Amino acid sequence: MLEFERVGFSYGRQPVLTGISLTIAAGEFIAVVGPNGAGKTTLVRLALGLIRPTDGAVRLFGTDSSRFRQWSSVGYVPQRANASSALPISVDEVVRSGLAGQLRPLARVSSTQRERIEHVLEVMGLQQVRRRRITQLSGGQQQRALIARALVTTPRLLFLDEPTTGVDAEAKTALRASLEHLVNIEGIAVVYISHDPAGFAGLAQRVLEVRDGQVLPVSGSAPVSSASHPGA
Amino acid sequence: MLELEFMQRALIACTVIAAIAPLVGSFIVQRRQSLIGDGMGHMAFAGVGLALLTGIHPLIGALGLTVIAAVALVRMSKRQGGGDLSLALLFYGGISAGFLFAARSGGGQTAVVGLLFGSPLNLQWWEVAAITALAGVVLLITAVVYRQLLAMAFDEASAKVAGIPTQALTLILTLMVALIVVAGMTTIGLLLISAMMVVPIAAATQIAGSYRATLAIGSGIGALSAVLGLTLSYYGDFAPGAAIVVVAILCYLVTSTFALLTGRYHRRRA
Ligand SMILES: Nc1ncnc2c1ncn2[C@@H]1O[C@H](COP(=O)(O)OP(=O)(O)O)[C@@H](O)[C@H]1O
Ligand SMILES: [Mg+2]
Repeated sequence: MLEFERVGFSYGRQPVLTGISLTIAAGEFIAVVGPNGAGKTTLVRLALGLIRPTDGAVRLFGTDSSRFRQWSSVGYVPQRANASSALPISVDEVVRSGLAGQLRPLARVSSTQRERIEHVLEVMGLQQVRRRRITQLSGGQQQRALIARALVTTPRLLFLDEPTTGVDAEAKTALRASLEHLVNIEGIAVVYISHDPAGFAGLAQRVLEVRDGQVLPVSGSAPVSSASHPGA
Repeated sequence: MLELEFMQRALIACTVIAAIAPLVGSFIVQRRQSLIGDGMGHMAFAGVGLALLTGIHPLIGALGLTVIAAVALVRMSKRQGGGDLSLALLFYGGISAGFLFAARSGGGQTAVVGLLFGSPLNLQWWEVAAITALAGVVLLITAVVYRQLLAMAFDEASAKVAGIPTQALTLILTLMVALIVVAGMTTIGLLLISAMMVVPIAAATQIAGSYRATLAIGSGIGALSAVLGLTLSYYGDFAPGAAIVVVAILCYLVTSTFALLTGRYHRRRA
């Protein structure tokens, strides 16, 4: 469902990733680790077609990511410490905004979509705070609201970029439980970027490390990178 | 004052504009582009100068140039990633061209001053109709793409991943700013119309619990400011545009004091 074929990327003349080849199958849970500035976020942005590879090709569900249109199959929670908003925006509104790409102008939210909204609010434990402003929530609740937003379209593939930054231990446990549910019950594939192995231990089927422009499997997980020699 | 026809015209035009401007303003505040309205105002000024020079109606000249500026602005910021610099270019290019054109046209000075500070008491009925039509278009577009605009204003990258055409929407939003500026220049004035996009929203954020409520309250505060401001200017002989903005700022002081006293929303710095 996600495929990198000898992908290289540089910001200007500064190469960030070189010769990345990897495949992620349906229902897989992949953790991505690596030092700050290694290129983890860049990897996700490439996967989502937010930036174009300098070399090679990225395919989502078999389609080149620059031409991909089935966005309801993909969920994305960008990296950020906290949800920021200059204006008041309620948790309900944040979660509903995940549907904006699916709705025709002026169309009402369908009953199926409404049920889905209720469901993700419940899975993410947000029902009690749904009418609150998102900036009034704790860091962990904010992250869960952003994940809920990414889940309302019932994606098959979910990208989480450092979801536990600025989140306390208790909230991390709650987040883990929610993710466990998603993986086990909904069979959703997850690409989980984090410094913190506790967040994905036991959930991740493979752990990849981004370092020196390469993506390498961390010991114990299967090899994923075929063109992963330095200088490739 | 209500039996005077020129006051009726002023009241309608100002209230309509002041109620609709905050709707567009909310999205530019959320995107932290509060100054874009000022940039557009400067371009509208150039358009008015051009109109005076060529003998077309100032509304048409301003509309033409701001629409071109909106398209150029979106393209420039896309190419360089430098929205700030593109805005500065608009500011200075517009204001200098406007002065050059207006000076050349001769006799345009009073018209120019009227547009800078607004002159709602001199409106014709057809101008009131044109202003209402422009505001109506803005209201309609906002209603149609409200959800998409909200998703984009909250987070552009994930809006893109949700399949929202963010570039087209950015252009639509910028065009709506242009329409508000043009519709507002004869009433509130070019120098202060962007204040009416931003100040009522700032006031509403103090007491609203959701985006929708912010829009509703902001729009109401805008309309209230127009009515009170015009009344003040009628009895106190103040400049109408300035009086309207001053009332809006007073509304902000009232709502923020209220929020402070009730401790309703402890605003966390985000
Ligand atoms: N927009 C950008 N322009 C230039 N360089 C960038 C940009 N974004 C990231 N970089 C650089 O690319 C490298 C990888 O960044 P990133 O993918 O964000 O790393 P990570 O998410 O692993 O911390 C870093 O050296 C960073 O400085
Ligand atoms: Mg990162």
